[in-house]
Amino acid sequence: MSADPRQHPIVRSVGRVLPDHHVDQETLIAVFRELWSGQHYNPARLEDLHRAVGVKGRHLALPLSRYAELRGFARCNDAWIPAAVDLGERAVRDALARAGIAPADVDHLYFVTVTGIATPSVDARLVNRLRMKPTVKRTPIFGLGCVAGATGLTRAADALRAYPGEVAVLLSVELCSLTLQRDDLSVANLIASGLFGDGAAAVVLEGGARPPGPGPRVLASRSSFYPDTERVMGWDVVEGGFKVVLSSSVPEEVRARLGGDVDHFLGDLGLSRGRIRHWIAHTGGPKVLQACEAALELPEGALERSWRSLSEVGNLSSASVLFVLGELLDSGEARPGDLGLLLAMGPGFCAELVLLQW
Amino acid sequence: MTPRESAVAEEILRLAREELELDADLSPEEELAGRLDSVKLLALVVAVEDRFRVILRDEDAARARSLADLARLVVAGQDSAARAGEAP
Repeated sequence: MSADPRQHPIVRSVGRVLPDHHVDQETLIAVFRELWSGQHYNPARLEDLHRAVGVKGRHLALPLSRYAELRGFARCNDAWIPAAVDLGERAVRDALARAGIAPADVDHLYFVTVTGIATPSVDARLVNRLRMKPTVKRTPIFGLGCVAGATGLTRAADALRAYPGEVAVLLSVELCSLTLQRDDLSVANLIASGLFGDGAAAVVLEGGARPPGPGPRVLASRSSFYPDTERVMGWDVVEGGFKVVLSSSVPEEVRARLGGDVDHFLGDLGLSRGRIRHWIAHTGGPKVLQACEAALELPEGALERSWRSLSEVGNLSSASVLFVLGELLDSGEARPGDLGLLLAMGPGFCAELVLLQW
Repeated sequence: MTPRESAVAEEILRLAREELELDADLSPEEELAGRLDSVKLLALVVAVEDRFRVILRDEDAARARSLADLARLVVAGQDSAARAGEAP
């Protein structure tokens, strides 16, 4: 870690956008009840599971009435592309406006998602919509799943270490509702259908050589890959689209490994957990958040923003941790010198840790 | 276990192995809590309810300590449903 703060990129802003179609959890449960009653003998047991994930409601990319027509991957993905572009545009505009930076001043555009595919990718479509400059360097990333908000942040920051006079935007768009597999009766799918919501977040970062604006600097990051855990989380691609792989061992993996990962990362920087004032954790779900709290021995309330975000909008996959970061920035709670640790986990299985300093 | 409960337990074991891909060496009398976390236990209960067309009470399902316990609950549930069906 360099002692010169100008080496480190600054997170200038986080834009957050939720789709307009909000549906409370009980309404969604009623829809699923109709779906499940033909497939399960005791749908009430599954309703309880949806209530147990601690989510009050979700924002959906489309009006609820349109989901019935979305049979098969092509239809889902055809609906995903325009919705992702619209939501992504709003998130990037929000983030740039907050930072006071024009679209034409963006040098790097990172786009992460795991809920749909497009070529040209969504970032390319946004270059046109936002009239970004033709020399903008685009990096679409598919497949990192829930960890991509954190990983995208580190990759964008790494680019700005090489080009400290430039501006990077990270955009995450996740429309999890458009991946629902109606015929998948697995408990993994039942949990996913109760937990995941739709949303988009964009982060504006400025290289360290630019005139410093407000916001935390990205001091360091650490990727932590867990060997031979490929079936812990991911997609099986089937005729209907993306069929979720979600092992019940996710909380165990977090509980077993996260504390050591964080300690090694911070220890290599001459730091310890006690120095971290702000914990910015991916809102994986109740069990994952509990596992984070246990693994890191966090005081009560340390992940309060993550719990609140989970309750209000559900798990937004890669966008979740950026929503939590945005809430922290908006709160104004962080003081100059404060350290924050942003962390997320995702398919691989893996974790990404990002050390921030205000 | 009665022969009928043993047969149900065998079928639950098959469900656990083949449909839920749970550990192949799960035995009927083994403590479920030591082998299955809450999500896997829920998956097993859902599969059992679908297969045998019975509804297990939450408190009973939560107290089931082994596949044999689940089998006894299934048989009791089937008998209860049969009696209800015979009622005037």
